[in-house]
Amino acid sequence: MAHCERASKPLLQCLRNTYSRGIAGAQLQTRAFQSTASVREPEAETTNQPFHKAPDPSLVTSPRLERRLLRQGTAPIGSRRRRAALQDSANIPFEQLPYQCFQEARKVLLADREEKLKEIETMRQRLARQESLSVEEAGGEKAKKSRVTAMQLHLERLKILADINDPLVKRNFEDGEGDMSKPIYRFLADRKWREYRRKILVQRITQMKVIPDVLPHCDPVVDTRMYFGKRQVQAGEFVEARASTSAPKLDIQIFEGGEKLVTIAIVDPDIPNVEANSFDYKTHFLAVNVPISATSTKVDLSKLLEDSQVVLPWLPPVAQKGSPYHRLSVFIMEQKNSRPLNFEAIKAKETSRDVTLRTLQASYHLKAIGAHLFRTQWDDTTLEVMKEIGFNGANVELRRARVEPLPYKRRNPSSFR
Amino acid sequence: MFKPRVLAPLRALERAFTPTIRSTNALSQSQSVLRTLSASTFPKTTPTPSLSRTLLPFSQVRYASHASQGTANRHSRDPAGKRLGAKRSGGEYVVPGCIIFRQRGSKWFPGENCAMGRDHTIYATQAGYVQYYLDPLKHSERRFIGVVFNKDEKLPHPRNAPSRRKLNMVSVPMAEKVVGQSDLVASVDENGVQVSDVAAVDAQSGPQWRPGYMYRDANWQIGRAAEAAGITAMPYDRRNRWLAWRKREQRAERAAQMKSLKGKKKTSKK
Repeated sequence: MAHCERASKPLLQCLRNTYSRGIAGAQLQTRAFQSTASVREPEAETTNQPFHKAPDPSLVTSPRLERRLLRQGTAPIGSRRRRAALQDSANIPFEQLPYQCFQEARKVLLADREEKLKEIETMRQRLARQESLSVEEAGGEKAKKSRVTAMQLHLERLKILADINDPLVKRNFEDGEGDMSKPIYRFLADRKWREYRRKILVQRITQMKVIPDVLPHCDPVVDTRMYFGKRQVQAGEFVEARASTSAPKLDIQIFEGGEKLVTIAIVDPDIPNVEANSFDYKTHFLAVNVPISATSTKVDLSKLLEDSQVVLPWLPPVAQKGSPYHRLSVFIMEQKNSRPLNFEAIKAKETSRDVTLRTLQASYHLKAIGAHLFRTQWDDTTLEVMKEIGFNGANVELRRARVEPLPYKRRNPSSFR
Repeated sequence: MFKPRVLAPLRALERAFTPTIRSTNALSQSQSVLRTLSASTFPKTTPTPSLSRTLLPFSQVRYASHASQGTANRHSRDPAGKRLGAKRSGGEYVVPGCIIFRQRGSKWFPGENCAMGRDHTIYATQAGYVQYYLDPLKHSERRFIGVVFNKDEKLPHPRNAPSRRKLNMVSVPMAEKVVGQSDLVASVDENGVQVSDVAAVDAQSGPQWRPGYMYRDANWQIGRAAEAAGITAMPYDRRNRWLAWRKREQRAERAAQMKSLKGKKKTSKK
């Protein structure tokens, strides 16, 4: 008996006692009052196949089958405990669960939702009225603008408040079935991201000093994931030179409605400069006018358009032997008012990879909305990659320079007692 | 009977008078009142140890327990100074590892290009000029010691300015990777353990004269003898309990055998 099954045993017993008696006979009857798609239905369709051949992601409990599903690319839904409970449940739709207290609570929530919907309606009307007012009637351009923005913000808030208490919304979100085109799911996703992933990201980019070194300031508002091939790279992870020969794939999740045009830059601030005894910057990738929205999040940097987006194509990062590790920082930068930049002009101007991101940010009015980070250092595959890309400096390594000691200062013996 | 009683007050008298007498040089020739008196009045019959023993109850003796309570003078208890404090002042040039400040506890904290040692000593990690500064944005209370590369720089740097760094490295041609496998041989003679090397080429071509021992193959070749002979060990399978049981039985049997032999030896000895 799996761990989860043991844990859910009391619940299962309870369910069996109440519902499963004569469930075979009552199956039709129970199904009659279902309004939503049931969890059992797909299984019923594929009864000709045994469960272990085609496991249902919402019912699978054995770790082996779960692993097989994961390999196929579908993640099991919900917790294993829940899936175990669902295997033996009567599968009554959620809204019709026969618990009195639950139903009473639902009534309260539904009433609240109705109220919120009414408020949204009135707010929409007020907003429309405010927008239709002329500037003189509203009392000046500034006053009108501030009032309209405040109303829009309040409207967005009401939209979230209407759905935030819906158990089905919560369940959909937790199952990963949330529709990111709806404000409530975006809100929940944002909150979840800020609870953990954003904190980690901010810690990494500040502790590794990407923030003062590459850009003076960045307040990440979009969730960025990065993949080299199939493998996801956590912020700050070391990536082998062989793995990073082709451009990474990005998954940029924004939590606002509408489409945005962004500039994506990957910058390395740790290029050793032996002559100047300092470090140089190098832009490993630069693309402009990349459209992202809450629903279309995938950006494959190697598949961006050469003739309208990619300014500087991907340059595989390599670290010379002996050099300190290189921080490859990825920045997602919002273009001003989401207006497209003039690609031809930028392509003609930005031919050098040595320009710092600060300069680019200032000259094109960009605002960093997302960041990511990975690191490279000398490893077994670096030399091959260096030869492939024609890196000059593959045959030298860096060693610590000798520090001249301070001259020995003889103390004045007359001052000794 | 009379002698000890007379001597005690005389000693006290001497103690009181000797400094003044010495200073005035009045009795510079004669050593002391006591000696002259004792020499003249009493003949030297009694030896000194017995005299002091008889004197004990009447003289003042400071025992260890009394002395250990210490004196009223505070300075006698003070330990030696530990030479703490600033070793380099602001603006002085330091190199990596140069100690800037010795302290008990963290009175000062390491700032830019500095680090703190095991005993809270602040030392430089880069060559530059020392600065003592406050950084209210980093910490409201702490005092920092930093090292700047240029003498005219001012710490703390602005929070959003890129960090100033130095590479401190030189580029040298990459060392050639050693190819082939050599054999390391150790031999013991009167000079101690001698570790010598047989060149990789020689190690490849059959048995060689190994120092101090014999003609034989290289150690790495011996190590791979099983591989060359095509002997393959059965991969370990922890679920193969049958094999495990057989091995265990064999081991137990052998152990029992050894034990019985051991016992026999002992008995034969006896």
